[in-house]
Order: sequence, then structure tokens, then C-alpha cells
Amino acid sequence: MALTGRGLWITALIAPPLAFVALFIVYPIVAAFAYAFYDWQGLLRGEFVWFENFHTVLFVEPYASRTLNAFSHNIFVFFALMVLQNGLGFLLAYALWRELPGARFHRVAVFLPVVLSTIIVAYLWKLFLHPLFGVINQSLRGVGLADVAQPWLGQESTALWALVIAQAWHMVGFPTLVFLAGMQRIPTDIVDAVRMETQSEWVKITKIVWPLVAPSATVVFVLLFVGAFNWFELPYIMAGLDGSPYGSTDVLGLYFYRTAFGNVSAAHQDFGLGSALAVLMFLFIAAIAGFVTAKLRAREIQL
Amino acid sequence: MAQLSLRGIKKSFKTVDVLHGIDLEIGDREFVVFVGPSGCGKSTLLRLIAGLDQISEGEFVLNGQRMNQVPPSRRGIAMVFQSYALYPHMDVYENMAFGARLMGLDKAEVEARIAQTARMLRLEPFLKRKPRELSGGQRQRVAIGRALVRKPDVFLLDEPLSNLDAALRSDVRLEIAKLHRDIGGTMIYVTHDQVEALTLADKIVVMNLGRIEQVGSPRELYEAPANTFVATFIGSPRMTLIDVARQGDRLAIAGGGSVLVTALPDVARLRIGVRPDAVVLEHGHAEDGFTASVVYTEYLGDNAFVYVRLADNTLMPARVGVNERFAPDAPVTVKLERAAMHFFSAEDGRRLDP
Repeated sequence: MALTGRGLWITALIAPPLAFVALFIVYPIVAAFAYAFYDWQGLLRGEFVWFENFHTVLFVEPYASRTLNAFSHNIFVFFALMVLQNGLGFLLAYALWRELPGARFHRVAVFLPVVLSTIIVAYLWKLFLHPLFGVINQSLRGVGLADVAQPWLGQESTALWALVIAQAWHMVGFPTLVFLAGMQRIPTDIVDAVRMETQSEWVKITKIVWPLVAPSATVVFVLLFVGAFNWFELPYIMAGLDGSPYGSTDVLGLYFYRTAFGNVSAAHQDFGLGSALAVLMFLFIAAIAGFVTAKLRAREIQL
Repeated sequence: MAQLSLRGIKKSFKTVDVLHGIDLEIGDREFVVFVGPSGCGKSTLLRLIAGLDQISEGEFVLNGQRMNQVPPSRRGIAMVFQSYALYPHMDVYENMAFGARLMGLDKAEVEARIAQTARMLRLEPFLKRKPRELSGGQRQRVAIGRALVRKPDVFLLDEPLSNLDAALRSDVRLEIAKLHRDIGGTMIYVTHDQVEALTLADKIVVMNLGRIEQVGSPRELYEAPANTFVATFIGSPRMTLIDVARQGDRLAIAGGGSVLVTALPDVARLRIGVRPDAVVLEHGHAEDGFTASVVYTEYLGDNAFVYVRLADNTLMPARVGVNERFAPDAPVTVKLERAAMHFFSAEDGRRLDP
């Protein structure tokens, strides 16, 4: 085909973004794959070592237990957010859809934090959770629950929960919006037909509304999964690169970053191990997300 | 058993008044049809009876019990929706079983009812199919079946035929009539199609602009419409209304001839209504009768309608035999049969009886 008017335009519009994606997304991924197979001395690339880096992060101490620790935290975060973010999002969407009093205000209020930058949210919650001056402990003391007030981010038992709650607060508007859109697509006649048969909200939700919005849940679940295993910014800002305290908030994102680039307290850096971790994370996320997407797609219901 | 009383029912949505006070009694086993043009409030009234919308004012009593605050599922009423509103994620069996189970019936009873309903509606081959795998007529039967298995006191049907094609429509109409005979519940049926109303109803409720214009049997409505709205709404082609002046025993159109009529209501000006069957056309202009000219002829096989224009510009259909020929623009004389004439007040359109 000759490069005439229209073809030229299309080429001109597609080429720059394609080049951009190739340079800044495809190349780093492919490069990381390659890096993972070499021995690194700082920025100096050493020998080709086959799968030694993978072996090290998975089976050699102290890396193996750190990997397992971070990975188990990611799994915890995924399930906690599944309940707190998606579950709550579904209930919020239902309340908004039923137009409970104040629905108009809350539709905006619920989505507003999503628009905020993670940096802002993270610092905001760090302030909220401050052991002495934070609004949470102040409030608890104010209502006479001083015993409950504690250094949320400073102890192992609560730190990860605190991060999860901050994350859920930040992003709950997204599943809410997706579920609400799904609910609004249910024909009003079907809603009326259910009302003719039951007045139980529980039956309406479990037997009619949930099955009919489940298709929109696919995308929400997959995005949450990807997000939970790539989680980085919020724990980085709120808990620091070491996953303080004592690695209780360490997740794969932080662990990878620390391993590849080093940090203030431990200057050691190893691109080979870091790349191996990145590759493993990528393969794990891609495999599960791809499988789940295909599986859930097959069950989707046409209205 | 079902005895419905609507007493002074009003409905407004925010500032818009949709129903302006509806009083209606519906008896057990009656087939009642609400009919009227779109926007007349007939569907709104049905939704109030179902409980899907709140009654703004007035009272709805079912079997002696005030229903205003009773939730829809507790009224003993089932509804068939215009779009059928089948649950897309359930197969036909589940669609029918859903409501029955929620009534607290045991498994065996649910199964028995569905088996019986499926047999009656010829749905047995489709029980395991999803709604999207069914044709329009089959979906319609599932929607009816879903209402039937609950064995409600009252069935509400909201324009159930409007999503079917013309051929299927008359079949389903027959089936609904037969169904009503077989199961004997009280049925309330909403339609804008007066043919459906005439063919199905024991009692027709003609509505317009949020008010009831007339309640009666199809025959009463056809033969003695209470006002010009009912007169023109019921019957096809429509009844023609002609404004005439009374001159002794004659009714005259200005400059368009007159007809001799006995036993007239005692007013100077009135509006007469004539159905196409009651019009006799004669070729040429004659002394006695309204003068008119032929506009066009509609040939329908077993008979034909000739549309003629009277001197006051009224377009009027007349039924003629298929062998009669009326050329366009030909002059004709319109003669009317006294027995088939309706008289209405020229001011407010109410029926006048001599």
C-alpha cells in the first residue's frame, strides 16, 4: 500500500506512542528478563549465570525467607482489600443505587479520594495515625477509649492493617463506581419483578443484583489482584523501604526495590537478584490475572 | 377471592399530577382492561395496585384490607411486565421457582406447580433454557408462568402483547382469554389497543389525562359511549363527530345539507357521532342528507371503507360493499340511520340522550 494521505496520517499518529511504549515499557521488561540471568557487580554486568539469581531469591537464605515474608504479606493485602475495598465498594454502590438519603453527596464523596495522589493520601494517613497527635488516637482518647489508642504504624500487629485501611480508603471509590455502573445497567423492570416477589434486601442482593453485576466484578478483581501484588507507593511512604517495623509491612514491591537498588541502611545493591524478583512477580501476576480473566469472562451474563 | 376497591386514588410525581382521583371497584374473577392513549395514567395506576409506586392520596383496599403500606410481595398480586423482565441468569425453571420458593412453599409443591404450569403453557421443552435462548412468544409465556406458579389473587398484565409481532399477538390474546377462563383469577390488563380491550375484557376502564372517562362492558362502551373521548377511542375506524345545528326535526351542517331525525335531544347545537357501519352513501347530491365528496377508498377484502369529506371539512369513513365503486372527487350524499347515531353536547362532549 502506498503511503498516501490517510495512511501517512495514521502512521504519523501511531508511530510516536509506539516508539514511546517500545522504549519505556517493552524494552525495560525485556531488559529485566535479560538482567536476571547475569551476575552483577554494581552497575557492571558480569557473567551469564543461568538460573542462579532465581535460585538465590527463592531458596537461599536470607533471601528465601524475606521473599516468603513479603509474598505472604501481599497475599494478606490482596484478601484484606478484597473484603475492605471491593466488598465495601459493592455495599456502597448498592446504597447509592437504592438512592438512600444523601446519595447525591456520597456519590462524589466516595470517589473523591481516588482522584488524590497516593503521596497525599499516604502522608494524610500517616498524620491520622500519628500515635500522639493523630486524629484517630485523639478521637479515641476524646471518647474515653484511651486504652484502644496505640501506635498503629509502629507495632507489628497493626502496621499492615493500618496500611490496608489507608489503601482501602483511597481506592474504595473505584469498585464502587464500577459496581454502580453495573447496577444501573439492570433493567428497571427486572428490579420491579423482584420487588413483586420479595422485600428482602438480602435475597435481592444475593440472587439478582450480585449475579447481574458479576461481569463488572471481573475487571475490579483483576485490577485489585495486580494492584495488591505490585503494591509499592503507599507502604513506601508510610512504612519506609524496609517495611518497618521489622519487615512486618514488607511487600514484594519494597523488597524488589531494596534488593535491586539498595537503600540507606543497607547500601548493598544487586541488579541480578532484583531483576529475578521482578521477573518472578511479572510471571506470577500475568499467569494468574490471565487465567482469572479468561475464567470469569466465560461466566459473564448477557442482559 | 379478590375484591379490589380504589377510592379517590391520586398520584403525583414531584409537581406533576398523574392521577386525579380514581374510584373503581373490581370484583372477583373479573377481567378488567385499562385502556387509554399513552400518558393517560393507566400504567401508573397498575403500578400503584402492584405496590411498586406509593399512592399519594386515597385508598386501595384488597379483600377488605387496606393495602397502601403493604409491600408488593405481600399483596397476593403478580405482575407480567411489558418487557417480560425475566431473570437473565436463571433458566426457565428457576425463573418460575424463584418467587414460589420465596413464598415458603416446600420443594415438592414448587415442583408440582411448575410442572402443571409448564404443561398448561406448553413450556416443558424449554425448562432448562435461559431466557435469551427463547423467542418473544416463549418469553411471554414464561413471564405468565412465573406469575401463575405463585397462584396470586390478582394478575396484573402491563401491555403484555406490545413486544410481539402482529401474527403472534392474536394467538397470545386468545391464550390469555382462555387462561383467564381456566384459572379464574382476577386479571387487570393494561393496553393502549382498543381491539385488545374489546376482545378480552369483562369490564373496560377507559382513561384519559389521569381520569376515568367511562367504565363498562365492551358492549356498553361501544353502543353507549359516555362522551366523545370514549366514542372516538373505542371502535375502528374511529367514530366520526359532526357538529350540527338543529332545525326543527332536522340536523344541518352549514351549507352542507341536513338529515331528518326523530326524537332529538332538546338543544340547539349538538355534536353527533356516527360509526362507519351506520353511514349510507348514495351517488350524486340529493335533497335529504349531507352533501360530501369522495376522498379515497380503502379496500380490505371483505369490505371497503370510503372516506368522504363533508361540507364542514370533516373527513368521514363509511363502510360499503366491495362491489360498490366510488370515484375520487365524485359527489355523494351521506344518509344516517337514526338508531346508530350518538348525540353529544357541543360544549363538553357529554352524551345526550333524548
